[in-house]
Amino acid sequence: MRILVDRVRCQNHGQCAISAPTNFELDADGELRYRESFDDEDASDIEDAVDSCPVQAITLDSDG
Amino acid sequence: MTQQLAVPHLDISSERFRMNSREMRRARADHWYARTDWGIAVLTYEDCKLLLKNPHLTQGSAKWPAHHGVVDGLYDRWWRKTLLVLEGDEHNRIRRLVNPAFSPRRIEPLRPRFRALADSLVDEWVDDGRTEFAGRFAAPYSTRVLCMMLGIDEHDWEEVYQLSSTIGLGIGITIKENIARIDDAVAELTRYAESLVAARRRSPRDDILSALVGARDEDDGRLSDQELINLIILLVFAGIDTTRNQLVLTVASFSEQPDQWEKLAADPDRYAAKAAEEALRVNPIARWVSREAGETFRYRERTIEKGTTIHLLTLSSGTDPAEYDDPDRIDLDADRSPHLAFGGGMHHCLGHFVARADIDVAVSALSTRLTDLRVGEDAEWLPDSGNTGANTLPITFTRRP
Ligand code: SF4
Repeated sequence: MRILVDRVRCQNHGQCAISAPTNFELDADGELRYRESFDDEDASDIEDAVDSCPVQAITLDSDG
Repeated sequence: MTQQLAVPHLDISSERFRMNSREMRRARADHWYARTDWGIAVLTYEDCKLLLKNPHLTQGSAKWPAHHGVVDGLYDRWWRKTLLVLEGDEHNRIRRLVNPAFSPRRIEPLRPRFRALADSLVDEWVDDGRTEFAGRFAAPYSTRVLCMMLGIDEHDWEEVYQLSSTIGLGIGITIKENIARIDDAVAELTRYAESLVAARRRSPRDDILSALVGARDEDDGRLSDQELINLIILLVFAGIDTTRNQLVLTVASFSEQPDQWEKLAADPDRYAAKAAEEALRVNPIARWVSREAGETFRYRERTIEKGTTIHLLTLSSGTDPAEYDDPDRIDLDADRSPHLAFGGGMHHCLGHFVARADIDVAVSALSTRLTDLRVGEDAEWLPDSGNTGANTLPITFTRRP
């Protein structure tokens, strides 16, 4: 599974970084940075990030 | 070289201030911000959007009761611990636990119940050709939706509505004179919330309250009992009046654009979500979102001193001609940039998916039943402020065949 963020939709609200700080963070300019791959133990945090994004910009893609 | 015009002053603390005024538009055309009696007001879309997420700014309402001489008591203690005003790790920890309970996954299945409620309320007055929309639709609808989500018996809605309105007085400028009543309402709602939590703990259901109780019980006690109760009070306080007033404003806006109301009625499945967004953009209940500078920083040509209050004006940013074509018009087919009516960043409104779903369902139900919508002259509007709307909204209409 791979994390995909739709960059056109993303408004840099940072809710994903609250839910899953190991994979998402806002940089010094307030822009989202994220890592596409994640460990199994973080899977539920990642799902919470997907749920919590106010613009629903995050999806999980099964190939990868 | 850009021309330097004097920074305008807007009288946002006046009862007569209208964010939709020529004065505001002129100020926005000349400058990105205006001075006010309470800090600065940011006017343009671009600047509101950037500042909403600026890490130098904190939420800034924590000291509201203290500013009005209220320094202890139930309300004050509750307010200082609400998610709304918490910052940093404490905020993020609670937000992380509660966010999933308000996700589309939880809210989408409730839509048929919202719709049945909306239809039954319309049935009560649709044959009369007129109604008082705020009292006979917006208040019961918004309160009963909240009851549904929390699993409160809907028969209790009037009492819940009263408690929420009383606690709402706490963010008004009359807080000091009402504080005894406000404290009583917090006490009563605390008892009520405790009994709800106890009931969910005995027998969980598939509702938001059970999800929150679960977040407390499963995650090594990360949400304390007190935090859970505080949160339930916040949901009742923040979830009802906001939705009630946004429904009022939405109907009022569409009554001025009958062509768009007809378009919505012809295909609500296609247009209802967009209708909610457009109403939030041109006529948002929260006329401004407030922040405070946590430190001194440079922004554009200005140094913003630590402690400065910054109001991000939502209607102004939502109708900024630099961002939107024909900005004051609701246009259900236009491709618009996202409005800022739910704030943004770490403090992005927690309940926005619920609010969006229930406005969307309400306008679907209303538009398919009513046409020739008109707002009576005797509507009682609230002043523009952090929260606006109407106490009463008499409307007339024709029932659709
Ligand atoms: S929560 Fe959504 S909008 Fe915000 S930074 Fe993450 S992906 Fe972007």
